[in-house]
Amino acid sequence: MARDHERHADDPAAYLLGALSELERQAFERHLMGCSTCGEELDHLRPATEALPRSVSPLRPSEALKSSVMEVVEREAAEREQPSRPRAAATGIRTRLRALVPSLTGRGPVVAWVSASFLLAIGLALGAVGTSLLSDDGARTLAARVDPVRVPEATGSLSVSNDQGRGAILRVNGMPSLPSREVYQVWVRRSGETVSQSIFSVGETGAGAAAVTDDLEGADSVLVTREPAGGARAPSGKPVVSVGL
Amino acid sequence: MTLAQEGDPRAFEILYDRHSGAAFSLAYRMVGNRVAAEDISQEAFLSIWRSRLRYRADRGSVRTWVLGIVHHRAIDALRRNLVHERRRTSAEGLEERQEAPELTDVEVVRRDEARQVRSAIGTLPPEQSRVVELAYFGGFTHSQIAEMLKTPIGTVKGRMRLGLEKLRRELVEQVA
Repeated sequence: MARDHERHADDPAAYLLGALSELERQAFERHLMGCSTCGEELDHLRPATEALPRSVSPLRPSEALKSSVMEVVEREAAEREQPSRPRAAATGIRTRLRALVPSLTGRGPVVAWVSASFLLAIGLALGAVGTSLLSDDGARTLAARVDPVRVPEATGSLSVSNDQGRGAILRVNGMPSLPSREVYQVWVRRSGETVSQSIFSVGETGAGAAAVTDDLEGADSVLVTREPAGGARAPSGKPVVSVGL
Repeated sequence: MTLAQEGDPRAFEILYDRHSGAAFSLAYRMVGNRVAAEDISQEAFLSIWRSRLRYRADRGSVRTWVLGIVHHRAIDALRRNLVHERRRTSAEGLEERQEAPELTDVEVVRRDEARQVRSAIGTLPPEQSRVVELAYFGGFTHSQIAEMLKTPIGTVKGRMRLGLEKLRRELVEQVA
């Protein structure tokens, strides 16, 4: 039995019902990793919570809902199949980002607040969206690692320009939306030091994108943490997303 | 599910057709209006599409996984106060059902199953069913429920546990 079991002994039912706050849920899930007693309690009570949605009388969603879901699904499936698009000019991501977003100065904590839709628009302006950005010049797309407890549905990738290792774009999906007092902040870690890059929010579908404007040569990783609105001077906790370089 | 996990849109469409009714019904029950319920359902299914590789059959059925995601999204929406309209009462929900009098065979089975589960919930002492409903369908935290009911947090958590235990026993007896 985990040492802090007494503190969490009454949590399993509340957890299954979704009645823990976000912080309490995270704390309980950390506790769960080492407590078989709570795990067994969860397994015992889970059939009851799984029955609750079955108590709801069946309703039909509109056909428009299906259309809008399938439109996105089919588009994303097709984008995966598309070959790489040629680039118009061999300029680095950083230069083009600065041309389009003058406020991205690279000085940290970066205050450029960019929405997912805005950065996707940048991607379109640069001539490619999705996995094929700058791919024909040897640019790398690196898969991100996510915290399976805090962001279980998230995926992410970092598209790194091959232009002398400068600049990259981080894209995420499935990230939980944050309360208005919090933001996601992107950092570059190098030799134990972290330098802020940008802050971003995610849309309703959990999709977001952020610029990494620093030179990534010699960097160890790119990280995403949850921080207070406006950003922080240093990461306040463990990253929810990380990309090893 | 395997084909959907491989990124086949047609397979995902089948998954959507099988589970969208249950997903939307749960979302509607929680947020009380069609527009918000469809927004939540759309978010949930796109999340399912993008995280499809995370589904593990040994952790439960596809439906359980889908409804878990819907439930989580609906709670998020409720707690972020994104659902501004007043939730519908059960009477208005009845109107919704009457809009579609011709039920499919699957819907008839689901309706009967809903009655059975509601009957099992009805056997719970009122103080237990109340906290279970407020938590699961209302999206309230145990602290909020304790404040609403002017009851200690420990008592609220205890009622949740006792309520789920009794519900589990009732459902097992129904099957027997």
